[in-house]
Amino acid sequence: MRMHDSNASDTLHESFLSFAGFRYLKLALALCLVCVMTYICARPPASGGTWLGYSLGTIGALLIAWLALLGVRKRSYHATLGTVKGWASAHVYLGLSLVVVATLHCGFHFGWNVHTLAYALMIAVVASGIYGIVAYGRLPAQITGNRAGGTLEAWIEELDDIAERSLKVADQIGPDVHQVLIRSAERVRIGGSLRDQLFGPRMTKAVDRQYEQLRQQLATTLRSKTGRFTSIQMQWQTLSPTEKKPRRVTVNVPDAQSTVMFMADQLSGMDQDARDAEHIRSLLDLLARRHDLVTRINRDIRLHALMQIWLYVHVPLTFALLAALIVHIVSVFLYR
Amino acid sequence: MAARFKIAVIGSGPSGLSAAAHAAELGLSHILLEAQSHLSNTLYRYQKGKHVMAEPGVLPLRSPMSFAAGKREQILDTWQEEVARHGVNVCHNAEVVGLTGEKGAFTLNLADGGTVEAEYVVLCIGLQGNLRKMGCPGEDASFVQYQLDDPDEYQNEHIVVIGAGDAAIENALALCDHNTVTIVNRREEFDKAKAANNAAILKAIQDGRVRCVYNAGVGSVSKQPGRNPPGVLTLNTATGEARIPCHRVIARLGATPPRKFVESCGIHFPSEDPTSLPAVSATYESNVPGLYIIGALAGFPLIKQAMNQGYEVIEFIEGRKAEPADEPLLRRKLGGLPGFVDVDQALEVIRSRVPVLAPLTRLQLREFLLDSELRAPSPGEVIFQRNDYTDSFYSIVAGTVDVQIDPDDPSRILSLGGGEFFGEMSLISGRRRSATVRAGGQCVLIETPRRSMSKLIHSVAAVKRVVDEAFLRRAIQSNIAPDVPIEALSEVVGTASLLAFKAGDSLFNEGDTGDGIHLIRRGSVTVSRTIGGREVVLAYVPAGQYVGEMALISDLPRTATARAAVAVETIRLEPAPFKALLARFPVVRNHIQEQFRTRVASNFDAQQQSAERSGIIGFMMAQGLGEATDVLLIDESLCIRCDQCEKACATTHGGVSRLDREAGPTFQNLHVPTSCRHCEHPHCMKDCPPDAIKRLPGGEVSISDACIGCGNCERNCPYGVIHMGVEDNSQPSLWRWMLFGGREPGSAPPKKGKDSIKKATKCDMCKSLPGGPSCVRACPTGAAMRLSPEAFLHASQRR
Ligand SMILES: Cc1cc2nc3c(=O)[nH]c(=O)nc-3n(C[C@H](O)[C@H](O)[C@H](O)COP(=O)(O)OP(=O)(O)OC[C@H]3O[C@@H](n4cnc5c(N)ncnc54)[C@H](O)[C@@H]3O)c2cc1C
Ligand code: HEM
Ligand code: HEM
Ligand code: SF4
Ligand code: SF4
Repeated sequence: MRMHDSNASDTLHESFLSFAGFRYLKLALALCLVCVMTYICARPPASGGTWLGYSLGTIGALLIAWLALLGVRKRSYHATLGTVKGWASAHVYLGLSLVVVATLHCGFHFGWNVHTLAYALMIAVVASGIYGIVAYGRLPAQITGNRAGGTLEAWIEELDDIAERSLKVADQIGPDVHQVLIRSAERVRIGGSLRDQLFGPRMTKAVDRQYEQLRQQLATTLRSKTGRFTSIQMQWQTLSPTEKKPRRVTVNVPDAQSTVMFMADQLSGMDQDARDAEHIRSLLDLLARRHDLVTRINRDIRLHALMQIWLYVHVPLTFALLAALIVHIVSVFLYR
Repeated sequence: MAARFKIAVIGSGPSGLSAAAHAAELGLSHILLEAQSHLSNTLYRYQKGKHVMAEPGVLPLRSPMSFAAGKREQILDTWQEEVARHGVNVCHNAEVVGLTGEKGAFTLNLADGGTVEAEYVVLCIGLQGNLRKMGCPGEDASFVQYQLDDPDEYQNEHIVVIGAGDAAIENALALCDHNTVTIVNRREEFDKAKAANNAAILKAIQDGRVRCVYNAGVGSVSKQPGRNPPGVLTLNTATGEARIPCHRVIARLGATPPRKFVESCGIHFPSEDPTSLPAVSATYESNVPGLYIIGALAGFPLIKQAMNQGYEVIEFIEGRKAEPADEPLLRRKLGGLPGFVDVDQALEVIRSRVPVLAPLTRLQLREFLLDSELRAPSPGEVIFQRNDYTDSFYSIVAGTVDVQIDPDDPSRILSLGGGEFFGEMSLISGRRRSATVRAGGQCVLIETPRRSMSKLIHSVAAVKRVVDEAFLRRAIQSNIAPDVPIEALSEVVGTASLLAFKAGDSLFNEGDTGDGIHLIRRGSVTVSRTIGGREVVLAYVPAGQYVGEMALISDLPRTATARAAVAVETIRLEPAPFKALLARFPVVRNHIQEQFRTRVASNFDAQQQSAERSGIIGFMMAQGLGEATDVLLIDESLCIRCDQCEKACATTHGGVSRLDREAGPTFQNLHVPTSCRHCEHPHCMKDCPPDAIKRLPGGEVSISDACIGCGNCERNCPYGVIHMGVEDNSQPSLWRWMLFGGREPGSAPPKKGKDSIKKATKCDMCKSLPGGPSCVRACPTGAAMRLSPEAFLHASQRR
């Protein structure tokens, strides 16, 4: 094979929606137009049982079968029949045209029967597909923006690290602050239930609130820090880790020896108060960074979930649709 | 009184062992001097359990020592046992540090002060060099090591890694999951390392997974008996002395290349180039009579070759004319030559017919021909097409070839005759073929792969000169003055100079007075102007084109800055003879003016574009696009993170994805995942012992099955895209998965045992598939694209 020729590249960078100059949009529109025109002209007016009804129904059923095959094509990585991008493009536009084809097929006859069930399922699949297109169009850029160059793995590692570091700093301020931190040093949950993914884990929010309290208290202390250091009084409620252990990346945290000593040595020149202020300030920085990370992680998870959730509707409903359709077709032949 | 031997063999690698064993077999008085306490240090240092491969398969083995593909341990054990059986006189811990004397009376000085005398010396110390030590008290303490075989061996230790290169960084990162790791850097940056390693270590330090001490030198290493951890390292830092208690010190300070030592023995290297190796005669004798060089140091980087030479060199010293083990291969290869009698005669014929090969020694010529292919294409057969990406070099032994110089007019043909050569353009520039070449009548060609030719260019100055000159002449002729007779160019060619620039250097700056036109010989250049105090990139100029013509035509100062995007070589043509040429040939003037006009127009366009585009170009150049021929990009505003691309890649390549979608930097929604860029001058090819990395006509840089799994390419690729992996071609069935579940197509295959043979894997543009790269074809939204830099810049212009 030969690599791209430079003039072919003009068409290389385009979204699946504009694939090949909207070829499949045009095709779908043409299909709808033909169907509508024949429907208007047909005598007797089409419904399932007429010749036009049969034709439209057949077209619709074939379309549905083909649309469902996208799941197969997607996973046939060596297939040379078009690209997945081309398939997706055709899938979207022809999938939408199905609404017209099927509606005309049944001649607007609806009832409480398996036929209309198939129709309703089809509409649900199409609707979820439309949501998918909107999600695909808007969410990717938001994810990139939220990532700001970072990765989830690195964030989680950093969080663990911040937890350890804040403990160490807290150690230097006073045992009570340390206690407070230890009790609240919960991890961010990754994944979790669907609800958690979409709306953010409840637990983290509680922890966040506590961090926020701590932050405010520290800030007050820092401001009032003119005389001797008074230990911080803190009301703190423990969180019971009821939920199952979250997935997390383990990190090792260096012991307090050696290199860290440099810093300690340098600080030893200052007086006690200045050092306390220094510690509080760095603890505040750590908490701020932590807050930022937690927010980003939750948003990242939420955006990813929003981008994928609809497929969990789209695909099972496809199978239901296929089943209902088979029943519909069999039944019209058997009972008519 | 020093011990005296007929033959001293220095170094117990495969070549040295084989030589010493043959000497022992013949009952010659000999000694094998080895710096280490074990045999064959290079193999000893392979990673545990490495599968050693016996390439090239066609070459027969001739040595008293046995060798077949197998496990490192097994091979080392067998050799140990065979050395004892042959009664080889091995002297361990005997590093040779000096060599004096002459044939019949050499004196070797050992590091421990001892001396050895010998009539003949066989030097086979390989290319690995000696590991640099810390050079401080305690550098040999029991908990100090200079390499790391298996990072998983250590748990819960405090380990100090010393060094700032790739090896140190990789070790620190590999250890830090289960140990407390401190890395000690003599300077302030890790910028000597690959970009990926640099970023990874800075991140690890920022995240606190690795501690780092900057600007620190090692003072001493000492034990603290009875304490835990048992050792302590003292550092000299800017703020004074620091003590780091630790369990282990791993110093990765690189190796001293053997060149200095070899030169001190009186051996010449043909050029300053670090890849250059000493030239040896057909009997492996160096320029110092009685001193022989074999193995990797003589330019033979594979074990089997090295062992054969060990046998042969002893035969040569004994005055016998051993038929080299590769003689039958050469005979087969050269048999097709018209009037073939024997190999020696054929070598003479080739040498006399092809002037560019005349300066080669016999051994070099043999080696050259072994790597090459003799071709006798029928008249009219296409040898290569314009725009092919092949990079081999052709010498014409007999007959003619026709070079089609004008792609639009097939009748315009330049004929090259016997003794000439072609194909040097792509070899040097790393770009597509600039013309189609067809065979003429009775054509006999030698086709030489890129690596052998590059090796030759770096080791024989005369070859380099001839090839460079031809390149210069032809480049000027085809790019600037297509219709000018060669004679008229002699003035321009004669005064042209070859210049080299590092990435980021400027060829010339805006406002400079014009000092000539630069024809880019390799690499690529960005053209920029300062607009509103900011440098705005206007254009990207690849190898084969020129920059700086504006100043020549208009006599104005430079209107823009040209900056090397990667390492660049240019040919600068002096203004005076060039202007004379323009005056004499209005066609040339028109040609240049035409180019000038289109450039002004496109620069104007580019200037209209926002600074955003300039930012993107800057970003892409920093990602190595300046030397790429084809790069995978992901438009993150379209990417739905489905990882279809990775799954497709894994399915195509035995379950191991060769691309990492999420890794890699992003700039304004443009993401450069970790995947091969198919560089113009692939760094990965630099040091591949079996020459398994090739560029195919379509441009794909691909690794063949000849890979021996040495990992050199993984280290040499600056973009971190090569991984050593085990592929598994079992494919899960799609229908079975849909109906019964189990392994989904595209998911990772079950983990392999430790014993499986690891080979280098990287993107080959799915050359085995009819439809092209599967990642791009599997992407449902069109986010993934593979582009050349030109196409990319074009696309970004329209955005
Ligand atoms: C990771 C890796 C994997 C490889 N895998 C393969 C493979 O699978 N198949 C294959 O065919 N090739 C392989 N190679 C290449 C192969 O290892 C070398 O081509 C081969 O070892 C060269 O042999 P040699 O005898 O020339 O030198 P070396 O094997 O390098 O031996 C040199 C010896 O000299 C000693 N020495 C050095 N200096 C002195 C001195 N001053 N005094 C005394 N002794 C000294 C050294 O300690 C060493 O023992 C691999 C290379 C590497 C780096
Ligand atoms: C091979 C394909 C098809 C055939 C042969 C077919 C056949 C028929 C027939 C004969 C009728 C008339 C039934 C009646 O009047 O009682 C009918 C009605 C209907 N069909 Fe289909 N059909 C097909 C595909 C589809 C598809 C793809 C859909 C939509 C998902 C669909 C939805 C309906 C609906 C909603 C009705 C109206 C039922 C009603 O009148 O109450 N059919 N079809
Ligand atoms: C009845 C009609 C439809 C059927 C049966 C159907 C079926 C499917 C199936 C089986 C998949 C594969 C999912 C997977 O394996 O991951 C899929 C994916 C998809 N469908 Fe539909 N679909 C229909 C209509 C639509 C419509 C109308 C739209 C858009 C407006 C749409 C948009 C999509 C998209 C965007 C994907 C995802 C592609 C991907 O992420 O790889 N579908 N559909
Ligand atoms: S593997 Fe690395 S060095 Fe080799 S061509 Fe690809 S990107 Fe370039
Ligand atoms: S296949 Fe395309 S959309 Fe999916 S992850 Fe890869 S680049 Fe993104």
